[in-house]
Amino acid sequence: MEGFTYVDIFATKGIEYILVIFFLMLFLLFASLTFRSKGGTKAVGRELRSGLSLWFRVPEFLYYHQGHTWVLPEGEKIAKVGVDDFAQRLVGKVDGLELPKRGSEILQGEKALRLKVEGKEIEMLAPLDGEVVDINEEVLRNPSRMLEDPYGDGWLLRVYSPNLRANLRNLITGHLARRWIEMVRDNLLSRMDYRLGLVLQDGGIPVEGMARGLDRERWDELVREFFLTKE
Amino acid sequence: MMEIGERAGRGYLLPSFGRLVVFLLYCAGLVLVFLKELKPKGKVFTPFNVITLPVILTGIFLVLRHLFEGLSAGSNVSQEFPWGVFIGFNVMVGVPFAGGAYVLAFVVYILNSEKYHPIIRPTILNGFLAYVFYASAIFLDLGRKWNMLNPFLGREFGVSSVLFLVAWHFLLYMIAQLIEFSPVVAEWLGLRRLRKVLASMTLGACVFGIALSTLHQAGLGALFMMAKGKIHPLWYTEFIPVLFFISSIFAGLSVVIVEGSISKRVFRDRMNDEYLNSYEEIVLGLGRAAAVSLFVYFFLKVLIFIHGQGWTYLEGGMGLWFLFEVLGLVLLPCIMFYEGVKRRSVNVIRTAAVITMLGIIVNRLNYSMIAYKWYVPLSARYVPTWQEVVITLTIIFVQLWIFRFVVNRMPVYGEVPEWAREEKRESVFAELGFTLAEGGERYAKR
Amino acid sequence: MTRREFLKLSISGMASFTLSGMFGSRLEAGEARAKREFMGVLVDTTRCIGCRSCELACAEAHGLPIPNIDDASVFSSPRNMDPSHWTVVQRYKTEKGEIFVKRQCMHCNQPACVAACLVRAMKKREEGPVTWDENCMGCRYCMVSCPFDVPKFEYDKAFGRIMKCNMCYERLRIGKIPACVEACPSEALLFGRRRDLLHEAKRRIYGSTGRYFPHVYGETDVGGTGYLYLSAVPFERIGFRTDLGTKAYPEYTTGFLYSVPIVLILWPAFLTGIHHLTKEKKRKEVER
Repeated sequence: MEGFTYVDIFATKGIEYILVIFFLMLFLLFASLTFRSKGGTKAVGRELRSGLSLWFRVPEFLYYHQGHTWVLPEGEKIAKVGVDDFAQRLVGKVDGLELPKRGSEILQGEKALRLKVEGKEIEMLAPLDGEVVDINEEVLRNPSRMLEDPYGDGWLLRVYSPNLRANLRNLITGHLARRWIEMVRDNLLSRMDYRLGLVLQDGGIPVEGMARGLDRERWDELVREFFLTKE
Repeated sequence: MMEIGERAGRGYLLPSFGRLVVFLLYCAGLVLVFLKELKPKGKVFTPFNVITLPVILTGIFLVLRHLFEGLSAGSNVSQEFPWGVFIGFNVMVGVPFAGGAYVLAFVVYILNSEKYHPIIRPTILNGFLAYVFYASAIFLDLGRKWNMLNPFLGREFGVSSVLFLVAWHFLLYMIAQLIEFSPVVAEWLGLRRLRKVLASMTLGACVFGIALSTLHQAGLGALFMMAKGKIHPLWYTEFIPVLFFISSIFAGLSVVIVEGSISKRVFRDRMNDEYLNSYEEIVLGLGRAAAVSLFVYFFLKVLIFIHGQGWTYLEGGMGLWFLFEVLGLVLLPCIMFYEGVKRRSVNVIRTAAVITMLGIIVNRLNYSMIAYKWYVPLSARYVPTWQEVVITLTIIFVQLWIFRFVVNRMPVYGEVPEWAREEKRESVFAELGFTLAEGGERYAKR
Repeated sequence: MTRREFLKLSISGMASFTLSGMFGSRLEAGEARAKREFMGVLVDTTRCIGCRSCELACAEAHGLPIPNIDDASVFSSPRNMDPSHWTVVQRYKTEKGEIFVKRQCMHCNQPACVAACLVRAMKKREEGPVTWDENCMGCRYCMVSCPFDVPKFEYDKAFGRIMKCNMCYERLRIGKIPACVEACPSEALLFGRRRDLLHEAKRRIYGSTGRYFPHVYGETDVGGTGYLYLSAVPFERIGFRTDLGTKAYPEYTTGFLYSVPIVLILWPAFLTGIHHLTKEKKRKEVER
């Protein structure tokens, strides 16, 4: 090193760079394994459903009709329509669905959907005006999809709505939506009998088809009351 | 291709000549489709075309001459000043200007900020094109072009060289950017499955790309570490790499701001409401980030000035030039960005961005030409020839043409096809364990 | 040979080729290096008579255009090395009369050009010479890095080369001494082991009081050079840069180069961490 022989001060650089490449590949694997094991899709979904505080999911970015249908604007005049989580839980397993035909007109606040549950038919209101341009065939074929993912795969209609903006103004969204669903829940709680109460105290959730838990005989009447379609 | 081959194979009576014809027809079809895409959309005789086209044509001629006659053809590079405008301007300035791509990739993909999502695509496209064209500038500047691939092929690996790292980082970063941008191409071509695969690689490409950017932005500065004694002591410091990295942040942000305001006029019809509505808020946010990074950079400059006892070099022209750069082109735009954000004035921010870009140009040219061998008298200094300037402009203009070509065709500014939106929501759902979270949140902001 | 075997062979061949590119030069030279010491040249400017015989010998040895060494007018304007003059003799007028200084590559112990080269076209040979190879890309980073501005590029050719003194490496390998040293009629040039040259230089300085300026240029400058200079006057008066410091030039880049692997390991980990934290936060927000 005193300057009479050559010393390569970068002698190990090549090996270091190879090591770094090796590290990066290994890290990719390592990180993906570490981070994946924690919160898989399914696990999170289940967690959401079982949490007491999360009785009813109300994503704040959607627009809700008080008859428990939702709207997701997809463009200036196009929106998706579905049924909210509360409705699913209240009704429980849906055996069949009746949706308006493609090309038919629906009107905000008018009856538009029909659910078939245990031989009973329950109607729901359209959350906006417009022409039905698409319906979710997948859910028609397999209505339980609606229950599994009410805000995603469980969507029902795609609607062309010329006055979407005006329609949205009549709907509830954001924090208000959460406040609203809390009120609905309190309303529901006040009608609950002790059997359901017990379920709740040990940390359970309102089982699917809560309406039946409340009133075996006239549950459909109760549902219509919540869906604002009671005659 | 496969399909044609099979079809031709099934008809075994078809002689090989016939197969050839089928193949040629197929190729011709492809070319036709491509040519149809090449046809300009919109008017041909726009002011932009009229100005740039002659420059580009002259430039192509000059480049060819350059290739066949050696580096001295129409160039002023000399034994004293081995690096001219191609390296000193196109690369040294172009790379920090393309820095917006990694800064925004960090904000959008690493910090998961939705706000800046609408501008990520044009920025990454810009960054990618910038790198491709600056790589071509380097190619032009090489004296022995046929050996260009040597550092990549291992003839030999000069691992002790800063330039070796910069070259490899350039290459890898271009690949990373291509991956980041590729879903857009897949959307354009309607390739669903491919898009899904490519989109799943985005995060990895970003993480890798940001690390690479940090290093080669700094690396460009580190190139000059061994030019100690040749660069004026006001600019030469052991912290050049740090300064280059930090300045690439606000350089990139300023370019994004300026580019956005030009694009907003030129490509208005290609932008959806989502882009246009969020535009002002985005510019304010970018201005804020630029103000802070300029502020930090200014104090770094002051710190390094004190560390290097810079005041002993302040007299004379170079001292004034240094003060002009630091006060006029760093501190001033910093204050302007601050004012612009405070007054919510896009115009002030835009002006500040232009000044900042100027500051970067001056700073990088200082390292490569002006403060480089400042002791050489003006008569022997490097001044680019008109041919070099034309080639430099050609490189920039061709890049802009390709940018326009891509923006006019691919879903760069919003306009994402419905199926891609859907898929994106799904993938976000899968990641968050929640439905429609991302798309919905954006809508909620409207 | 089956196709498979062929593939296997070519892949392993490629791998070893690539690896040897990275380590080869060191592995094969590893043992020899321990014994071999740098050779160098001591230039005593007090003995140089400005005959330019060295220039002629250099041009002949390397096939460069033959200079007319009888023409003394070349000294009147400042002259520097260029692609066809690997060494030039310069004249300086000082208080101690005219001094002639032979210039060429200094053959640094830790050459900046070698560290700069991204294809190892510039090599520091264990015998001391710094040489140039044909695999050069012509990026001219060596020219930017060299503290003495030695490497010159043939700009006017489509197939340009970097041209500079190579201490007659091809002659050293067959046991000859550099052409310029051989040609010097006044013993101003002395070829030998660098260690011995330093002894000799110091012997001359201390042996004759007042004849020499007490510094051997190249002993410690830029980490030591293969060409060592003696002078009667301070070195800055005969065109040497004395502000270059004693640190070897490649060491100015170590700060950056050593941090590269560190950054490549820490940044991705850090970024991935942030990504997952912010994602977590985002999910919480949505859930609420």
